[in-house]
Amino acid sequence: MKFKIILTILLVNFYSCVLSDEIINENKIHKNLRCLVCQGQSISDSNSDFAITLKIVVKDLIEQGKTEDEIYNFLSEKYGDWILYKPKLNVVNFLLWFLPYFVLLLGGLIVFFIVRKNVKKT
Amino acid sequence: MLSNIGNSLLFLNVIISLLIIYYSYNCLKISNNLIFKKIYNLSLFQSTSILICFFTLISAFLISDFSLINVYQNSHSLKPVFYKISGTWGNHEGSLLLWVIILTIFSFLFLISNNKHPKDYRLYTLIIQNLLILGFLFFILFNSNPFGIVNPVPKEGLGLNPILQDPALAIHPPLLYVGFVGSSIYFSAAMASMISNYNDKPFAKSIKSWVLISWVFQTLGILVGSIWAYYELGWGGFWFWDPVENASLLPWFAMTALLHSLLVLEKRKALYFWTIILCLLTFTLSVTGTFLVRSGILNSVHTFANDPTRGIYILIFLSIMISASVYLLFTKYKPEKSHVSANSKETFVLINNWFMMFYLLTVLLGTLYPIFLDALLKSKISVGPPFYNSVIIPVVVVFLVFMAVGPQAKWIKNRFINLKQLLAILVGAIIINFAIIYFFKSYSVISNLIIISSLFLIISSLFDFLKKSETNLSRILSHLSFGFLIFFIGLNHNFSIEKDFNLKLGETKIIDNYKFVLKDLELYNQSNYKTIIGKLQVRNVITNEERILKPEIRIYENPQTLTYEASILTNFFKDHYLTMSNIDRSEYYNIKFQEKPLMIWIWISTIALSFGGFLSLFRNAKNN
Repeated sequence: MKFKIILTILLVNFYSCVLSDEIINENKIHKNLRCLVCQGQSISDSNSDFAITLKIVVKDLIEQGKTEDEIYNFLSEKYGDWILYKPKLNVVNFLLWFLPYFVLLLGGLIVFFIVRKNVKKT
Repeated sequence: MLSNIGNSLLFLNVIISLLIIYYSYNCLKISNNLIFKKIYNLSLFQSTSILICFFTLISAFLISDFSLINVYQNSHSLKPVFYKISGTWGNHEGSLLLWVIILTIFSFLFLISNNKHPKDYRLYTLIIQNLLILGFLFFILFNSNPFGIVNPVPKEGLGLNPILQDPALAIHPPLLYVGFVGSSIYFSAAMASMISNYNDKPFAKSIKSWVLISWVFQTLGILVGSIWAYYELGWGGFWFWDPVENASLLPWFAMTALLHSLLVLEKRKALYFWTIILCLLTFTLSVTGTFLVRSGILNSVHTFANDPTRGIYILIFLSIMISASVYLLFTKYKPEKSHVSANSKETFVLINNWFMMFYLLTVLLGTLYPIFLDALLKSKISVGPPFYNSVIIPVVVVFLVFMAVGPQAKWIKNRFINLKQLLAILVGAIIINFAIIYFFKSYSVISNLIIISSLFLIISSLFDFLKKSETNLSRILSHLSFGFLIFFIGLNHNFSIEKDFNLKLGETKIIDNYKFVLKDLELYNQSNYKTIIGKLQVRNVITNEERILKPEIRIYENPQTLTYEASILTNFFKDHYLTMSNIDRSEYYNIKFQEKPLMIWIWISTIALSFGGFLSLFRNAKNN
């Protein structure tokens, strides 16, 4: 019974925030785009001409009804993958995205087996 | 003149190191447990002379002796005295000298403070530490000599990069160096422990204080760096997952893992080889970080003057270090009869280590992957904040829960944890979370989880504190402040407000609840720069709260640079952060305004976190 109550509270909790996730966030997109003429800054943090121009381009693309991913694809075709701070999941970047989780899984298994081996002994 | 003194002292240090190694080797052959008096003396002499060598360099900076290339390239006679001094370690060559100082002083302190431990172990540590010292001395002498001369002597220096002329950045490198160069001593001790078969509890005891010292300083060093980035770089953030920042974070993860596994080694005599690996890993990562930063293969905001030969030297040094430690590890490795039972404290320490290794590998991969990809496939990618956030944050949620539950477990026994209490805490956390949603409106699922799990950790740490039986104050404080740290970062990240617009003198602009007026622009002449100070009035239309912010645009002469100084007003509830920059061919100024809630608490939590380490250090010193 108690568990059901807690579960309901949790679900209500998450439901209230799922709704707000739908809106396309301009600043989030800016933060994912590297300012190509700066030293390690996103266009959100930069005032360079390049950043200003790119912000206008992003705004136009949003107004054309493009989704976040479509905007990233459009820009990476034009400027190369270097412009995206969050690398796309593709063959080349496969290891980058999966190795951390693989390590997490492997580490978990190692800990599990160390502990279980000793449970059997005792 | 100063150049000659400096060079002679460097040579002297090489000779002392060689002598220490020679005498230690001789001393090992004698079968009593006494260390030659002259080894102590030499070690003290070594620390003194390297300090004098450093003071020589400082005085060259103080009197602006431009016959030294290093001073010529990094200083200027008009620079304030404070920055002349900090300029000493604000460059590659000078900072390497700081490296050697810390290697040397730690070597001396370790020697004199561990007299309860056997002779062989101490001497082997000394020998290995001196081999490291030699490696860096050679690097300084043959590649990066701060005492190199320039002829003819220039009349004036080139000056220090203005963004480095800052009090936080003056103390940032020394703090960080005590942290990650300090880890060298337990690298040496771990090697010595394997060679002299001195292991388990006494070994853990001998290095515990050193691990704590380096951890505390590393934490503070990272904090000061972040504070600097926050107010100096003008983006309003404090952590950018920049490769150089990552380089300081990697040893921190390893140290944190080590700190926990040492507990097991000390109390339960288990995980000996794993602890050794962590000791070796910490210093290896420190050197790797230095390699990445100094060789210039990384693209980063931190610009160190680059030179490929440096990279090659450090790379050779690093490979020798790694192969020696791996070789030793393989020859000495014995499978151990560990006694880790489920649900005991040991299990949770293992879980801590498991997560630390995940963070470490993720950050390492994110830092190195672009380099390898570029070298192998010539394809350039960027790995930035959105990558780290999406990979790491979900895992942190689970980690925080373990961090709350773990300390309640007992050693050895697998007693079940009080489930009812945990559920009560969880409900409490969710209710507080509801209150936050109510006040700030809604936010994303993952932020929600972060807030709930950090509250879970905070509340259960507070429960532990209230229980009279619990005496481990340092642990409670550190875990509690880590909970608060994540909590405040979560809130800050989600509820920051950002406005970006253009304004000219006298103009008023209203955006949402804010009314901005650019009231005034004034030009001032300072000793080594000119500055334009804007006076911006910001009024919150709803609360009628009014504030005046004064951002600056600075024009430095030597070298000629423009910098933008953010104006920051801090209180306990929020920071107002504003930068102003000129727009070419226009009378308008670009204004970036941010309201960042609870910013100061992020710094306070981190200070409290490191203070937990201090407490543990004191307790450890008292017990021994």
